[in-house]
Amino acid sequence: MENHQPLLKAVDLTVDFGSLRAVNHMNLEVQRGELVGLIGPNGAGKTTAFNALTGLIMPNEGKVFFKGHDVTHMLPHKRCQMGMSRTFQVIRPFVHLTVEDAVRVGAYNRHGERTVKSKVDQVLEMCELGEMRNRVCADLGLATLRRIELARALATEPELLLLDEAGAGLNETELAGFMKLLHRLNEEEHITLLVVEHVMKMVMGVCRRIIVLDSGEVIAEGTPEQISANPRVIEAYLGKRAVL
Amino acid sequence: MTDTLLQSIITGVLMGFVYALIAVGLSIIYGVMNVVNFAHGDFVMLSMYLSYMAGTLLVWDAVATPLITVPLLFLFGFITYYLLIDKTLRQLYVVQLAVTVGLQIFLRSLALIVWKAQPRALQYSIIQGNIEFFGYSILTSRLIAAVVSLIFIAAIAYFLNKTWAGAAIRAASDDLDTASLMGVNYHRTYALTFAIGAALTAIAGGLLMSFQQTDPQGGMRFGVLSWCVMALAGLGSLPGLIAAGVIVGVAEAVAVTFFDPRSRLLAIYMIFILVLWLKPRGLFGRK
Repeated sequence: MENHQPLLKAVDLTVDFGSLRAVNHMNLEVQRGELVGLIGPNGAGKTTAFNALTGLIMPNEGKVFFKGHDVTHMLPHKRCQMGMSRTFQVIRPFVHLTVEDAVRVGAYNRHGERTVKSKVDQVLEMCELGEMRNRVCADLGLATLRRIELARALATEPELLLLDEAGAGLNETELAGFMKLLHRLNEEEHITLLVVEHVMKMVMGVCRRIIVLDSGEVIAEGTPEQISANPRVIEAYLGKRAVL
Repeated sequence: MTDTLLQSIITGVLMGFVYALIAVGLSIIYGVMNVVNFAHGDFVMLSMYLSYMAGTLLVWDAVATPLITVPLLFLFGFITYYLLIDKTLRQLYVVQLAVTVGLQIFLRSLALIVWKAQPRALQYSIIQGNIEFFGYSILTSRLIAAVVSLIFIAAIAYFLNKTWAGAAIRAASDDLDTASLMGVNYHRTYALTFAIGAALTAIAGGLLMSFQQTDPQGGMRFGVLSWCVMALAGLGSLPGLIAAGVIVGVAEAVAVTFFDPRSRLLAIYMIFILVLWLKPRGLFGRK
């Protein structure tokens, strides 16, 4: 039964900040196994949509379904137990914890004391964080902290992982490695991915389907080729003049 | 003169470990949920009365009473969290202040009504007498109190660093929303933190009853003590709390011996203000 439904579904999702409508009746579906990109110009409402999907903020209208269950008003830790996890655009490390402990917090989501260590080891290895396991997060650089955010989220063993600009601030080599890791997660670990991304090269190279958000509304949806040829998308990114 | 001084320093150091244990509870509650528990000293007072009750009714030794009072205070902390503290978390700071100060007044009044104003003490203890230490005599019960306090501080350190709940508590202390997204149930984590903070005062209360008496106003002294120890230590360092507890204990003991028994709080506050002038972030704090 569960398998026929989309893994994640947002219906008429609306978030207001005072008089500003950050997300406007957004509808979105992510199927199991997909690798979907969510793009849009600055201020399009991508991060707000993420916050509403993961339960950090409550939408003013609309509903969020995860595995067919209405999770609109469910607290974040319960969504996490159901199999939803995320990273942040502006990184939010546990500054006083070591890398190992930060990942351990996530790993406890599905593991007890007996198996938690091997889970932590596995995730640290996958994210190439093995040598830094005893470093304190406050002392580490941005690229490493982004990998730790990903490791922490992976340790919860999610079915759906939402990545908020996880590629931002990475150099070419780091980005290539990161894209490879995303492919691996999607294909080998069977994790469904929804990624918000600014780095076009990464979205176009990784995602098989792209959703474009502008002013809180979905304005286009399709394969990378369709999206890059879509006049509404070009207009949203570059303004009307450039199209004319 | 030097003998008396050394003697009071030894007494102060031993008391300092018990003060550190009390302050550990206050400090993890503040560190994790940003709530200053103004009733913390009165938790100690309540624990001492409960130890007195258990000791009198069951004819138990004071140091054994935590077997009963620790679960009671843990439960008390748990219930207090859900009934009171939880309701103040997203409120103005002054609401938290009013609630924990209100709890303080409630506990003091309750102690006055139930146990009346006169001090209570347990009559006897198996742990008698003194131990000779390089020519200085130490009350055995004080030595035991100090050692047990250190053991429990070490146990808390182990708990915070090595267990699931400890990791959740530290993560929630750094970033609540993120911890929540990693599967940490923050209501439960906060309730557990508050309950542990309260349970630690029960251990201290039992130890203190082996050589001290309790009265309804005793909470004042332990409250002031533990705020000062926490402020001296700065946040997030258990060794810092131990050192700060010792400083406060020695200051108190020296003032009581050489100046006036009624000057103990004054001495503690003077040390506190001195540190505030010289190192406002505490002696050992992070950040």
